[in-house]
Amino acid sequence: MEPIIEVKNLVKTFDSRGKKITAVNDVSFTVFKGEIFGMIGPNGAGKSTTFSMLTTLTKPTSGNIKVSGLDVGKQDDRIRPIIGIVPQKLSLYPLLTARENLKFMGKLYNIPKKVMEERIDYYLRLVGLEDSADRFTEGFSGGMKQRLSVICAVMHDPQILFWDEPSTGLDPQTRQAIWKLARKFNEDGKTLIFTTHYMEEAENICDRVAVMNLGKMVALDNPEVLKETSGSLNLEQVFMHFTGEGVCN
Amino acid sequence: MTIKTELIDSLAVAEKEFKILSRRKGVIIPLLLFPLVMMIFFGYGMGGTLKDAPFLIVNSDTGQASSSLIQEVGSYTPKYDSYPMFSVTYSKDMSQSEAESKINAGVYKGALIIPPDFSDNIAKNQSTTLTLLTDSSDITASENIINTIKQLLTTTGLLKITGLVSLNVPNIYGNLEYLDFLTPGIIALTIFFGSVMTTGAAIAEEKESGTLVRMLMTPISKRSVILGKTFYQLILELAKAVILILVAYFLVGFRINGSWLLVALVLVLFTLGGVGVGIILSAKAESMESFDQLAMLVTMPSMFLTGVFFPLSSAPVWMQCLARCVPLTYAIDAMRTIMVKGQNLNAISTDLIILTLFAIVTFTLGVHLFRREA
Ligand SMILES: Nc1ncnc2c1ncn2[C@@H]1O[C@H](COP(=O)(O)OP(=O)(O)O)[C@@H](O)[C@H]1O
Ligand SMILES: [Mg+2]
Repeated sequence: MEPIIEVKNLVKTFDSRGKKITAVNDVSFTVFKGEIFGMIGPNGAGKSTTFSMLTTLTKPTSGNIKVSGLDVGKQDDRIRPIIGIVPQKLSLYPLLTARENLKFMGKLYNIPKKVMEERIDYYLRLVGLEDSADRFTEGFSGGMKQRLSVICAVMHDPQILFWDEPSTGLDPQTRQAIWKLARKFNEDGKTLIFTTHYMEEAENICDRVAVMNLGKMVALDNPEVLKETSGSLNLEQVFMHFTGEGVCN
Repeated sequence: MTIKTELIDSLAVAEKEFKILSRRKGVIIPLLLFPLVMMIFFGYGMGGTLKDAPFLIVNSDTGQASSSLIQEVGSYTPKYDSYPMFSVTYSKDMSQSEAESKINAGVYKGALIIPPDFSDNIAKNQSTTLTLLTDSSDITASENIINTIKQLLTTTGLLKITGLVSLNVPNIYGNLEYLDFLTPGIIALTIFFGSVMTTGAAIAEEKESGTLVRMLMTPISKRSVILGKTFYQLILELAKAVILILVAYFLVGFRINGSWLLVALVLVLFTLGGVGVGIILSAKAESMESFDQLAMLVTMPSMFLTGVFFPLSSAPVWMQCLARCVPLTYAIDAMRTIMVKGQNLNAISTDLIILTLFAIVTFTLGVHLFRREA
């Protein structure tokens, strides 16, 4: 298996009103090309911060990250075009239409006009937003925003897709649709990394799962192996097994 | 429900509001400060007198009448002041056009030209004319000078009593009104507020909504983001200026006496500086709300300090000193020099240098502070 992301001793501390917060505490892991990699953990575990660093948005306090063999921090300009990011905060321009939002992203990635228009139509149909293409996103539901947000992130056909909490706050049907989409992107050859705090979703879709708690990566393996090592029946219990102490404290 | 309980409820609400307010220190300061600042500055600015105004007397006459007049002018001290009103420079043989150009250049606030045969004519009981030039782009100073000279001519017995001396006051910039004075200043002020507020608020808002992060995780450089926003701002502000000028033209016949290109140059430089300030403030602000407060704190003092509404020459000295520290002052000065006085590049070179520095410094700092980091 070919590594596509290599993380070594990653640390991020924040200075918040004089108090030092260690959001990510000495995390090392590898993601392989073509896999679906899930990060689970409670709110504040450090998932989004890890994402920010992997995607060149936040400078690590210390540690090394390689994305597709390129050094984060040194070769950011070459990394950005090959990764796509769906942020946890669904940041769309409320007063632009869905199509205009996509076009804006496409332009930032310098996608040729013709290719861009074809992709926009293709993706809008793929996520079932073709009828809302020319509506302001201001009136979109959470599910619609999530779907638009992800296709904003794949407009430039990235190799790696980072998806921060794809299913949070969505109804079960929409979640189903989102996961179907995730699988589709993976089948298209994209490596997929996402975060969630729904264990059963991680269990169903991931090749490997990393459990994060209080800035540390407390476990990382195939869902089946994780269940075995912790002697649990499902990931929910695995999760409690690995994070229970931390949460209680 | 009785009136009493309603009252108690409303008082509780009021108390809560005050509590919240007392915890938002950023709001309290401008809230208390602005009415005060307005009162103080408008009070001083509008009612001020002229002190130590640079004044030129061109006298080619050696007679008795002119020397007593010169003495009166030089030593004249307004009623409520301990300083003489004029700081006089004397000259012989200077032409009216030369004196005018000195006023244009801002060297003097006014000039009195005494003809060579002045004393002679008076001695011979023949009529003679004094010429008084003033910087009429500075309305308060100009009116002040004209009134004072008229008054002095009367007290020295030269005007009216003998009926021989008349005072010629040519209007070197045409007939000016308060609006001619006000329009360039208002335009500069609007551009400043606009560029600082709009740029900063747009960035702060994008920061808050997360769209900025989304933009910055694409290959686009932060410089391009800033540049794009700057272009947008430049166009917006220039369009605003054109609209303001047109409105002033159609309403009161306001005309630009100088070059449109120079006006545009000043506005472009000044907008760049304003955009820089906006970026710096948005980089420092955590949220939309805190940006608004910061921006108020920075822009408001400029408005009252810089003589948008009244000529700085009539303001107290401490205020003039403060005004020298505010870039808006130089923008306003340049705008008035071009638009009202119709002067060329030379007359605004100092202003342009300062505005260029302002733009470079704020812009560099803004780009530096503007972070890609989420
Ligand atoms: N910009 C920041 N400044 C200060 N603290 C932060 C910042 N971003 C995240 N944190 C803190 O870091 C910790 C991890 O946050 P995050 O990565 O968002 O967790 P997760 O995504 O797993 O919920 C939290 O305690 C959060 O408050
Ligand atoms: Mg998160």
